[in-house]
Amino acid sequence: MTLDPALLARLGPLQVRARKVMEGVLTGLHQSPSYGQSVEFVEHKEYAPGDEIKHIDWRAYAKLDKYYVKRFEMETNLRALLVVDGSGSMAYGRGAMTKLQYGAVCAGALAFLLARQGDQVALLVAGDPEPGSTERLPPGVRAFLPFGSSNAHVQEVLRRLDGSAGRGPTDLAGALDFAAEKVGRRGLVIVASDLFDATERSVPALKMLRGRRHDVVVLHLLDREELDFPFDDPTRFLSMEDERQIDAQPRQIRQSYLAELQRFLEETRRELTRADVDYVQVATDRAPDRVLLELLSRREGSA
Amino acid sequence: MGRLVFANPAYLWGLAALSVPILVHLFNRRRPKPLPFGAIEFVLRSQRQKSHRLRLRQILLLAMRCLLVAGVALALARPSLEPKGTAAAVSRGPQATALVIDASLSMRYRRGSQTLFARAKSEAANALYRLAPEEPATVGFCAGPGGFPGGSIPPPGFDRAATRRQIESAQPTYLGSDLTSCLAAAARALGESPVAGKRIIAFTDLAAHSIRLDAPPPIVPAPEGSPPNAAPLRPNVVLVDAAQGYELPNTALVATAIQPAASLGARGYEVVATVANNSAQPAVALPVSLRVGNQIVAKGFVDVPARGTAKKTLGAALPAGSVEGRVEIARTEDEGLDEDDVQDFTLQVPRDLKVLVVDGSPSSLRTRDEAFFVETALAPARTGGRIAPTTLDADAAMNAPLEGYDVILLLDVIAPPKAFVERLRQLVTKKGVGVFISLGDHVDPDAYDEAFGDLLPRPLHVLKTAADPAGSDQAAARFGVVEWQSPLFRVFSAADREGLLAARTFKYALLKPDPTGASHTLLSYDDGAPALVESRLGQGRVLLYTSTVSHAWTDWPVRVSFLPVLQQGVSWLGGSLEERTSPPSAVGDERTLMPPSGTRIAVVRAPDGTALPLRREPGSDVVGAPVPAPGLYRVEVQPERGAAREEPALDFVARLDPKESDLRRVSDDELKAQLGGSGSAQVASSALAAEGIHGTPLWSGLLLLGVLAVLGEGALTRK
Repeated sequence: MTLDPALLARLGPLQVRARKVMEGVLTGLHQSPSYGQSVEFVEHKEYAPGDEIKHIDWRAYAKLDKYYVKRFEMETNLRALLVVDGSGSMAYGRGAMTKLQYGAVCAGALAFLLARQGDQVALLVAGDPEPGSTERLPPGVRAFLPFGSSNAHVQEVLRRLDGSAGRGPTDLAGALDFAAEKVGRRGLVIVASDLFDATERSVPALKMLRGRRHDVVVLHLLDREELDFPFDDPTRFLSMEDERQIDAQPRQIRQSYLAELQRFLEETRRELTRADVDYVQVATDRAPDRVLLELLSRREGSA
Repeated sequence: MGRLVFANPAYLWGLAALSVPILVHLFNRRRPKPLPFGAIEFVLRSQRQKSHRLRLRQILLLAMRCLLVAGVALALARPSLEPKGTAAAVSRGPQATALVIDASLSMRYRRGSQTLFARAKSEAANALYRLAPEEPATVGFCAGPGGFPGGSIPPPGFDRAATRRQIESAQPTYLGSDLTSCLAAAARALGESPVAGKRIIAFTDLAAHSIRLDAPPPIVPAPEGSPPNAAPLRPNVVLVDAAQGYELPNTALVATAIQPAASLGARGYEVVATVANNSAQPAVALPVSLRVGNQIVAKGFVDVPARGTAKKTLGAALPAGSVEGRVEIARTEDEGLDEDDVQDFTLQVPRDLKVLVVDGSPSSLRTRDEAFFVETALAPARTGGRIAPTTLDADAAMNAPLEGYDVILLLDVIAPPKAFVERLRQLVTKKGVGVFISLGDHVDPDAYDEAFGDLLPRPLHVLKTAADPAGSDQAAARFGVVEWQSPLFRVFSAADREGLLAARTFKYALLKPDPTGASHTLLSYDDGAPALVESRLGQGRVLLYTSTVSHAWTDWPVRVSFLPVLQQGVSWLGGSLEERTSPPSAVGDERTLMPPSGTRIAVVRAPDGTALPLRREPGSDVVGAPVPAPGLYRVEVQPERGAAREEPALDFVARLDPKESDLRRVSDDELKAQLGGSGSAQVASSALAAEGIHGTPLWSGLLLLGVLAVLGEGALTRK
């Protein structure tokens, strides 16, 4: 079963949506069970070419004179930080969901999943601070929820996600610095953002995060209209993050727009992939459970 | 610069359609719909890159569309640039219009699929069609030396259908034209119309030879009843160039001369063709051919320099008798005047004659021999071998076969037996043999009358001795009345005639009256007695000379005038008189024809076989025949008795005026100056000029602009 974003959008509060997505992901995972590293030993398996040599159980070899590979349950004490970009451009989306809503659904579902298997989850919403907020946070961080794995913690995560609105310029650098600091030891950082960063500091910050040995996953969220630029009428394009605006004949600039966008996407993908960041480009008209399932399956497969 | 005029100004309202592209442009520039957009960074980048180009493109697009609309609207309005100074002269309002169509030979010039005349006709029909209903019109066809045939054209009227029919049925002539006279006559005709505006539209090839630049410009006479000092009016003259400004190169055969060429044999002739090249390029290896009947008998090539002439001589041995020939030069396929590439000629080629000379008074002393002077005159050296004389004495001749001879001369023969005379009569009546009888001491008039009977043109009466040859020549008879037009004497020019009239005759026969009246006296003595009498007998002729052909009775044989008369007489009797080629007539002239004695002109047939209307001079046999076209004209004569017969000697050819072959154009400026200046005269290339649209048409250029604008607009809107 996949969850069409349009259908998902009608499901009401984020808690419901995120749970639905999580269930979809779980169903998918059940259909294709995979095993990975775990501190909890499950069984031995006879070595076959392609298995990691480091997983060979040398003691079993000493006893049985055969190579066996140890298989483990998944690690349970993973610390995962969900970073959601709360900038103005993330509020774009004339379809079922804005990019921010889509990112929130994905982040919420992941929070459910992670907490369900006992992993620690934290949430960081990047962006300008909430007006009137008294919380003392570094620049670029709108909200931060420390690690936790309880059900109540997940609910709080979802509540925070639900409450955030897209606003202000994109600058993930400050948020990611803060994230690196908070995650501490090697952890998983999942970033949901459109990376439309005028300062172009976000990608170096992601690379820096990866440089600190964190496992970095980037969900690069893009609206279908941003990808296809399907406008015809003369349009005054307004920036969602600052005062910039421009009048244009979309038909006449479509080609050059698409070329510019493609160049940006290619460059981002190349940079991040080269830095060993797990980069996934996500169009927000895709079913989020499929996106997450693919992501997890891929990660399981490559783990 | 001139003034811009429009043929259909109503179409200028189409310029209002210019608002459409402007509105489209403004619509595209309307206030855009605001849209907060996440990826505005990329919009900004592409817009920065393109904004200049886009703005330029918008402006170009607007310009192209405006150009397209304006170009089409303006083209439909058919603008043209009117030369400076014209406007004042071209009177607006209705104009009485005279259409003058050049119908001269040069208008038969072929350009492409039609002749200049056909184009002139269609232009004239268009001009007539475009006249306003209140404009009267008349049409005239300019051909011939005096302008219009008849000298004038009817005044302008409103019967358009009749005028159109006149134009449609018009045919070009073979004549030259005098456009200057035609324009003057047309202006006079316009004077009879009460309409104030006057206009002449002439459709012509503008050949320089048809226009006299020194003549006064055409003037419309002041209307009747106007004050005496009223200024005559100058009509607007539009000359529509049927050649559309193109050069009209043409090669033409302008003259053909024929002369005997002894080097080519007894009947060898040289035909000298003069070829004119009226073009700026030399004609190289132009084929010239000589055709007799249906056969080409000689062919050659000639190089003719540009704007020059060259002669080509073609030689051929021609058949005896009446020869109809034609000289041709090769025609140019795509253009040219075909009619002047051909010239016909006609020629009487004498046939060879066998002549029997019966010497009735032979002598061992050559100069005393009766046949001496005759033999001398007929010697092959003097006749070019055309006459082969055989001389027999009288006794031998009586029993000799007479068949095979064309002419038999009986010189001072004793009255022959009846059987001989009967043989002779048969030959004359049935075979057309000619008989010449001269007298002498052996002649007894009564015996002659009895023996010859009606073979003698007139019976002999008595011999008369006018004077003693040794004595004073005061009493000797001289020739008095000579029928100079007869074939025997036609060769004498006025200066030569004295030589004939000076001959003295001492003794001759007087003749009895002619019982039948069929004889004809060609030469008489000063006392009125006949010297040479001719009669027709059946198919042949008999010629009686009442004196001797030796110097026994007359001194004529020793005079130079004797030889041509004898040669001519023998040839005439044998039906082989060498006629001079009758001089050609010029097309458009009248040919005066004089019938042979005893006949009258029955019919003159044109080259196409039609009988021409003849003008007979009262009290004379002379007729005048019009010559409307080039080619060979045949003449039939009607004798007093019997059926009409062809008379090849009177056949003639008509030739074209060589001037018409030169189609060099008159200079526009000189022409306008002659017609009263550019204020009242225009030279145009089409009938549109008749509508008052003078000058350079611009609409084709505008249409081209429109097409370019469509292409440009298409290129700019292509995604």
